[in-house]
Amino acid sequence: MAAADSPSAALRRRDLCSRGIRLAGKMRSDVVDLLDAYVERQGLDASASVAAVEGVPAAAVERWDEQTGTQRLLENLAAYRAFRALLAQMLEEQREQLGEADTALGRALAAVLLQVSAFAYHLEELLRLESRGPPSEEGAGPPPAPHLGLFERKLRGLGVLRELAQWAVRSARDLRQLAKPTPGSGSAPSPAESP
Amino acid sequence: ESHIQYERVGADVTMKCGSMDWDAAVTWTANGTDIHESHLNGSYLILKNVDLTQSGQYSCYEGSSWHLKYQTYLRVGTPPKEPVLMCRSNNYPKGFYCSWHLPTPTYIPNSFNISVIHGTREMVCEKDVFPKNRCHIRYLQLFSTVKYKVTLTVTNALGKNSTTLTFDEFTIVKPDPPESVVAKPVPNNPRRLEVSWQNPSSWPDPESFPLKFFLRYRPLILDQWQHVELSDGTSHTITDAYAGKEYIIQVAAKDNDIGTWSDWSVAVHATPWTEEPKHLTTEAQVTETTSTSTSSFMPPPTTKICDKGAVVGSGAVAVCWTAGLVLAAYGVLFI
Repeated sequence: MAAADSPSAALRRRDLCSRGIRLAGKMRSDVVDLLDAYVERQGLDASASVAAVEGVPAAAVERWDEQTGTQRLLENLAAYRAFRALLAQMLEEQREQLGEADTALGRALAAVLLQVSAFAYHLEELLRLESRGPPSEEGAGPPPAPHLGLFERKLRGLGVLRELAQWAVRSARDLRQLAKPTPGSGSAPSPAESP
Repeated sequence: ESHIQYERVGADVTMKCGSMDWDAAVTWTANGTDIHESHLNGSYLILKNVDLTQSGQYSCYEGSSWHLKYQTYLRVGTPPKEPVLMCRSNNYPKGFYCSWHLPTPTYIPNSFNISVIHGTREMVCEKDVFPKNRCHIRYLQLFSTVKYKVTLTVTNALGKNSTTLTFDEFTIVKPDPPESVVAKPVPNNPRRLEVSWQNPSSWPDPESFPLKFFLRYRPLILDQWQHVELSDGTSHTITDAYAGKEYIIQVAAKDNDIGTWSDWSVAVHATPWTEEPKHLTTEAQVTETTSTSTSSFMPPPTTKICDKGAVVGSGAVAVCWTAGLVLAAYGVLFI
């Protein structure tokens, strides 16, 4: 595996970062559209406050500017893996609820799910470059869906999509930080330093 | 004893002369001028339906001794109306500013209190020394979906009023306009203008939080703007300018991902490069003029003095207003 600071690794990181930034931008735009469609189809009030939903990774972070590159990648990866499971759950519930597999909302959900998976893969690649490798997906599968009524499930879905929209913005910012050629980007220690 | 008394416009005011009895003989003055006894009820001063002009110093003197028995400063004013509050982040992700004002003056001193709540957390708004009606809140968290609730309360001696704004982190982001906008003609290019600008200095980290830009331009003689959106870089070359026409150009900025567009920058004016018309110069000066005009900053528009029969030089084009379109097209061939 190439050292994190070799020229080819640096190029590959920059390339992954810029593609990741574009992917995050597209994902955000699609999530915002999906949010509008979701609110409408589910008969919700767009301004409804949704309390922090259990199992949904919050994008909010303190001291964001002080995070290392590795921290950023790990937090992003954990979030998108969780969203992958949550969106798959939402898709399943949606199909059960409406009884048909192929609605416009279902298609939009599936498209976003695909982008979330692709982004998670991107992050795994970036972590491999950090000579760290992505953590394994322990306890595979989503947290057991709490037994919720239909309305609570709809509100939960709203919370998931809103948080995902925030994450998409944060991820673009995180990748820009990562792409900066500064010592603070948290690249893996040089061979002389590593244990 | 002396003190300040606040009363509403239109109120009826009764002033007692300190501890003097009602039937004591007294003289009242307003700003040193005696008040006619028709305004007195015994030793009480009665002011009906007070207006702003009646603000001032009121003094009461004992009849015979002229000892000062009582003094008050009357301030006539109004309780505050609902204040106007605005919050905006031109320095994302550092924080945001809230500023306020009263829609109408109260004519008496007011104090302002602002509270900022994010979820369950109360945040500190650091008041600016100048301007006094503004404070700054530092973001403790970024990328939060929890809304901010800002309440401004204004209080004076006659009453209080308040207003509340609720918003999320992204919607209030609005950069200041781009700075140092410069537009220059491009030598030997009669249809080009090179525009450059800088990020607003208030935007703390354009590298991590890049801005995108919106350029608008039009010749002074037309009302319709052309628009160009630019996702990166702080310069742009306009390639479809009307030759010889003075242009007005402005730029606006927006965070690449969130918030709203800034106001337009200060407008700059520029005219595309034109060749000096040959008939105005002698033979000997032609070569010199042609070579120096390519390095001149902004040649004056020459359309008004241009002849229909202007000579077409070796690649440069003299543009006439009446034949402008044809010659401009001809000139493009030589660019």
